Amino acid sequence: MKKIVLVIFILLVYQVLFSQISGIIPSGNSIASTSVSDSRSWTAFNNPAMLGYVDKAEIGIQYENRFIIDELSTKSFQAAYSTQFVNMGLSFAYFGYSLYHEMLLGLGFARNFSDKFALGVQFNYLNAYFSATNEYKTAFFPQIGLNVSISPVFNIGFNTFNPFQINITTEYIIKRIPSVFSLGTEYFFSKDLVWRVQIDKEISSNYRFASGFDYEMLNFLKIKLGAYAGNYLVSCLGLGIKTGAFFFDLNGELHPLLGLNTFASVKYRF
Amino acid sequence: MKRHLIGLLILQHFFAISLTAQDVVTTTDQLIADIFEQFTAESDEAIDYETFYEELLSVSKEPLNLNTVTREELEKLPFLSDTQIENILFYLYRYGPMQTIYELQLVEAVDMTDIRRMLPFVVLGKAEKQLPKINWRDVVKYGRNEILMRIDRGLETKEGYRLSKVGNENQDTANSSKYLGSQFYNTTKYRFRFKDRVLFGVTAEKDAGEQFLGNTKKGFDFYSLYAQINNVGKIKRIVLGDYRANFGLGLVLHPDFGMGKSSYVMNVIPRNSGLKKYSSTDEYNFFRGAGATLEFGKMNLTAFYSFKNIDGDTLTGNFTSIYKTGLHRTISELGKKHNIHQQVVGGNATITFTNFQMGLTAVHTSFNHHLIPQKSVYNYFYFSGNQQTTVGINYRYRWHKLNLFGETAVTENLALATINGFTVSPLSTVSLVAIHRYFSPEYDTFYANTFSESSRVNNETGFYIGTEIRPFRKWKFAAYTDSYRFPWTKYTINAPSTGMDYLLQTDFTPHRNLSMFWRFKYEEKMNNFSESKAAMTVINPILKGYLRYQLVYTYANFTMKTMIEGNLVKNAKLMSGYGITALQDLSYKFTKLPLSADFRIQFFDAKDYDNRFYTYEKDVLYAFSIPMYYGSGSRYYLNFKYELNRQISFWFKIGQTVYSDDRETIGTGNEKIIGNRKTDVRFLMKWEF
Repeated sequence: MKKIVLVIFILLVYQVLFSQISGIIPSGNSIASTSVSDSRSWTAFNNPAMLGYVDKAEIGIQYENRFIIDELSTKSFQAAYSTQFVNMGLSFAYFGYSLYHEMLLGLGFARNFSDKFALGVQFNYLNAYFSATNEYKTAFFPQIGLNVSISPVFNIGFNTFNPFQINITTEYIIKRIPSVFSLGTEYFFSKDLVWRVQIDKEISSNYRFASGFDYEMLNFLKIKLGAYAGNYLVSCLGLGIKTGAFFFDLNGELHPLLGLNTFASVKYRF
Repeated sequence: MKRHLIGLLILQHFFAISLTAQDVVTTTDQLIADIFEQFTAESDEAIDYETFYEELLSVSKEPLNLNTVTREELEKLPFLSDTQIENILFYLYRYGPMQTIYELQLVEAVDMTDIRRMLPFVVLGKAEKQLPKINWRDVVKYGRNEILMRIDRGLETKEGYRLSKVGNENQDTANSSKYLGSQFYNTTKYRFRFKDRVLFGVTAEKDAGEQFLGNTKKGFDFYSLYAQINNVGKIKRIVLGDYRANFGLGLVLHPDFGMGKSSYVMNVIPRNSGLKKYSSTDEYNFFRGAGATLEFGKMNLTAFYSFKNIDGDTLTGNFTSIYKTGLHRTISELGKKHNIHQQVVGGNATITFTNFQMGLTAVHTSFNHHLIPQKSVYNYFYFSGNQQTTVGINYRYRWHKLNLFGETAVTENLALATINGFTVSPLSTVSLVAIHRYFSPEYDTFYANTFSESSRVNNETGFYIGTEIRPFRKWKFAAYTDSYRFPWTKYTINAPSTGMDYLLQTDFTPHRNLSMFWRFKYEEKMNNFSESKAAMTVINPILKGYLRYQLVYTYANFTMKTMIEGNLVKNAKLMSGYGITALQDLSYKFTKLPLSADFRIQFFDAKDYDNRFYTYEKDVLYAFSIPMYYGSGSRYYLNFKYELNRQISFWFKIGQTVYSDDRETIGTGNEKIIGNRKTDVRFLMKWEF
């Protein structure tokens, strides 16, 4: 089992370096990780500008399992609160297992400017454990997001995670924290059907192209379909269920080499 | 309701105007060829055009009554997507019979292009489900007969026809591998049909190089006979002689054309057409025997039996593979002929409700010799033995706007294959499809043909997503992505591998006489790097990108088509190459003569085999050419159709390919031609009475 975990971990690190999938950043509710322009949902450590669209308050938890290996899962929590001047959000994510893990804490602020545009900034604190030296190392870096409504049916979103390329340096290694720049669009064919396109660039990796559709087939049911491509083409399928103030999301991504990546979240909106 | 009617009248007005003038696609023949081309343009597999053409042509002769139409009938129209079929049936269910054909415009996800394509194949009649009994006197009196005779010949003599001269001491050895027959290809067909109720036919074929009258053969090399009767009491269909059987999504049984990846991105689900006559000239892909489908309310029960002699080398007592080409031109090829007895018995039970359908299909095959493939790593899991049973369950379910479908099958060694997906049309302008497939490496059955990257349905897992969007009038965008993995090695891929495909097509039809499209396709697939010195084979990706622009314009009796295509390929040696081709078609239909003519000139410059092009060209009736080119050169042809009277028509085609890349021979082995020119001539006569 340990060998399998090790192999998958190496592949995952490869992915982090060359395909920009970071273990610590949760994929988000939006299919194919097209959250940068998703004006209807804010996800922890994704575009903080979307925090500006939170109506009152919400809390949520997410669990992301990579390739059915528990050790490669990310657990995250998020909470948002809306005030008259600015919306605030608190996020936390945990990735890894006892011998290697990372924790990320974020505090974000965002404002929606009359539905013309929304601006958000988040301050993130990363804490990573290195078993070789049995110590925790930390880093502090910002995240900035913007969403502009070009028309009532078309938005453009931008997000940057760790724009100043802050890294963690230990005695033996330098751990790179992903530095990601994302640009995306959101188009409403109707209020029930949304199409999103996104391009991501992790500073030292390949570009990632993603696209996805969200279709609210029934009042309580949403179907999500999309794909993204970096070094591999990954197809994605998801479901969203709404019951009262609860929102359940379940996304699956089929990596052609590594297998199934699943993401589940529960959100409660006050 | 009133608003509905007013809308209809307005639609009818505009629709009527648009249909009075000549369309971009002028005839049913051309329309069918155009549809087929779209399905096959990206494919390098041989697809049975004869069956495809004949079935659509027979639908045009007996158009479907839209008010009584069933799913099975609409599935005969391959250009309609599953979503469109569902939407048409749903519309009829919800609003009742259509009053005018123009109502089709009110059906979601059906646009003017689709309606124009449908027009030759549909009519509106009374919504009566009950069919009259077959009156055999009427069958004799009103049945239509058709006789077709086609002759082909290549003008240059191929190596296989050059016999060593008498007196040469090695004469016998040298001539033993040569072709026994003449250079002529000939097929003769007789067809009889009474509406869509009674069908009968005989086919005879001799391939070029096969002997017609000689010491090894007296007469044609291949004969085929069929009879089909539809809708007699509880008997929905009886087939006798040669026939095909297509059930479910093709994991168990689907010898017909299975919709694959094409620019019809939504049309990806193989059609469940049940038993049907076989009238093509493919000498392998059919059953020979009898079958029947009985209808009991919502349940259809089918049983069939086939006994056929197939080709293979059984000198050792076993055979390593089935010889499927149907070519018996040399002593060696004749030695493989009909050595193996193949028996197939199978059945299907399908139950259909308004929103739900479920079917069970089972097939058992046995041979009188054991099939034992020459074992290699890539075919380690291929079927071996003389008996095989495959069973599958398929379903289809409509839930709100979501159409779910799938099939799961197992072979007797418990190898699993499953394909599942959905289509949805959230808006009339947007359609989406998703298909997941998993075929285990051990799953290997004889008649499977479904949505897959490889032609063989095994050793593959993948996810396909497609969308068709019509955001503005006159514009259509279609795109798909397909990501797949071969968990076991494959032929020329000595390791598990992955691949991906993308396609984006934009169609623009500014007015009824002008249409164009841009098609971009990119694919990435692994292959062995043969020049590697490593102890283990290195596999590298092959990257291919294609871009095609096509324009079709009609003016009066002229139709013009211009096409430009380019490709860029990086092969497994990581060397890049390019290819480019351009063609101009000109078709003219004479007004004072019952004559139409097509002319094409094309040039191609494709550096390597990897940069090869497949280009559809017009042909005589029931023939369809997609020749492949690489190297550099040009191709031109002339194709004529002359209707002597209402009964008799003639087709004639002559085409020549000239290579300008200093090659001194074309082809290899017995097919080798000396020189840089290849000329082919075809003649076909049709007599209807």
